[in-house]
Amino acid sequence: MTTLETRTATRTTAPLGRLAAAEVRWVLRRPRTLVLLGLLALVPVAIGVGIALTGGPGDGDRDGPGLVAAVAGNGLVLPIAAMGLALTLLLPLTVATASADALAGEASHGTLRGLLLAPVGRTRLVVMKAVGVVTVAVLAVLLVAVVGVLTGLVVVGGPSGTMITLSGTTLGLGEALGRVLLVAAWTVVQLLAVAAVALAVSAFTEHPLVVLASVLGGLIVFGVLAAIPSLEWLQPLLLTSGWSAGTDALRDPLPLDGLVSSTGRALVYLVLGVGITVWRMRRRDG
Amino acid sequence: MGRRRWVGAGLGAVLVGAVGVGLVVAPAGASAAPVLPPVSPEDLVSSVMTADQQPFAGEVEVDNALGLPAVPGVPQLANGTSSVRVWSGGEGRGRVALPSSDGERTLVSDGTTRWSYDSRDRTATRAPAGEGRPDNAEAGPDNQDPTTAATQAIATLRQSSTVAVDGTAEVAGRAAYQLVLTPLPTERTLLREVRVAVDAETRQPLQLTVLAQGSGEPALQVGFSEIAYGPQDASLFTFTPPPGTTVRDAPAGEGRPDRPEGEEQGQRVGEGWDTVIVGRAPQGQPEGQPEGQQPEGAPDLSTLGTPVSGPWGSGRVITTAVATVIVTDDGRIAAGAVPQQVLTEALAR
Repeated sequence: MTTLETRTATRTTAPLGRLAAAEVRWVLRRPRTLVLLGLLALVPVAIGVGIALTGGPGDGDRDGPGLVAAVAGNGLVLPIAAMGLALTLLLPLTVATASADALAGEASHGTLRGLLLAPVGRTRLVVMKAVGVVTVAVLAVLLVAVVGVLTGLVVVGGPSGTMITLSGTTLGLGEALGRVLLVAAWTVVQLLAVAAVALAVSAFTEHPLVVLASVLGGLIVFGVLAAIPSLEWLQPLLLTSGWSAGTDALRDPLPLDGLVSSTGRALVYLVLGVGITVWRMRRRDG
Repeated sequence: MGRRRWVGAGLGAVLVGAVGVGLVVAPAGASAAPVLPPVSPEDLVSSVMTADQQPFAGEVEVDNALGLPAVPGVPQLANGTSSVRVWSGGEGRGRVALPSSDGERTLVSDGTTRWSYDSRDRTATRAPAGEGRPDNAEAGPDNQDPTTAATQAIATLRQSSTVAVDGTAEVAGRAAYQLVLTPLPTERTLLREVRVAVDAETRQPLQLTVLAQGSGEPALQVGFSEIAYGPQDASLFTFTPPPGTTVRDAPAGEGRPDRPEGEEQGQRVGEGWDTVIVGRAPQGQPEGQPEGQQPEGAPDLSTLGTPVSGPWGSGRVITTAVATVIVTDDGRIAAGAVPQQVLTEALAR
């Protein structure tokens, strides 16, 4: 008898884990998510194969992007270079797609109305949707990092599992992997800031394309603003202005200033984005 | 009720934004000038000259408004702000990292050998460390180490200037005396004032500020933004060329080809602040120069500046905020922290 009572009591709320699992399964079954993740995995492979085929710097070719040139004969730099490259556009595109589908996509299909009518708290709905987006962000970054490490070790090769830093020192495999992990974690935080802003936009519209356009357009506008010298005072406000800090992980006594300050900036964007999303979703009608 | 919530949410968002931006953006606020026992300029200068080199790690910020032409490979020389990381182990051991957006130049001195490593082309250049001025090894040609820069400035500029201790300041969280060198009124110079902030405790120069005539903003400010005294990891001051690196030896006796040579060969005209150095233009850069700027170097001079001529001949004048250079068509060079007229007088002699 007592067991029956407790069961009815627990049934008043659905278990969080099961809801999250359902949302993640729903997100990962979308073909566009899978296609984007597959394309992201190709980024390090393409860089690695390209460098393995053309050879490294010192062949009179010093004009290429420095970080990619640093990969030659130094495979463990590949994941960091690949994450840096993907962070400029591909990774934000991936999380923006997930965020667009999470709220605006549901609204455009009319399924958001059902979720809003269901006896589920609005905040909990946002949390569940955010879980799906976070999953995509973490998966995307991990995919680039892991494929990057494997490609770096197998295709590019290097001085027996060590990493040569930009400062000319040599790091062992463990420390090198630690650096890759650090950049991966930092990249996830930066991506979550983008995702939070995308979710906020997503909460206001029922057109997923608006979310994509505003996120990618916003990144481009940030890039343009950062390039105007007279707007230099704006730099500390721009999320993208800290995105070169990933390179710092390749310097030898590891400078943390850039990584910490860009993470702080990302957290501000994150809190604002999540706050606006929750605020909007609590009073949204279908 | 609903409206009140809106207002609350809006206020919350603004608050988060403001606090966040404040935390992320705002630099450490300038604090009040620390109170220190008074010291005479002579005592301060001599204590700087005799102070022991203490091991430290720090970050040097270079705020450059000199108006120099950009030199590839050394972004720190161009106008703008840049930072350099410095470690000193004492006894001539040091390490300097000059980061750029996608690479780094590293200078390491272990007391007997100097290494210069450039991550862009992965070359390491080796040179025996100079005996007399071990610190200059770490500083590079651009006076980025404020220790060396300030010490030299005091030593050379002392005769022709008023030297005063003008209050105190806080630099990189350390209480510091402000030593101010002002040229005597008779000096014909572009410089208005040179300020050196000296750590009150360790007597180490922390910041060098150069102010030019007619400008309130410093033409050059080199100073620590962070400094921590204490023993440093010995492995910082050794350098092993990583695999795949091209190792070159700098030609003997030409470890620092650019500055000392020019000064030694050049003829000094005038004294004090309006010293003009007249010399001959270098015929191509010596090889093995660690700066990675061999393709540029000397030929650039012929395209810079504006043409001038006078009784001394004709040439081109290059004007920066704190210095003027005239390169004549017959290959002479006159340079100094002086107006153009002083240079032409020196050339005419």
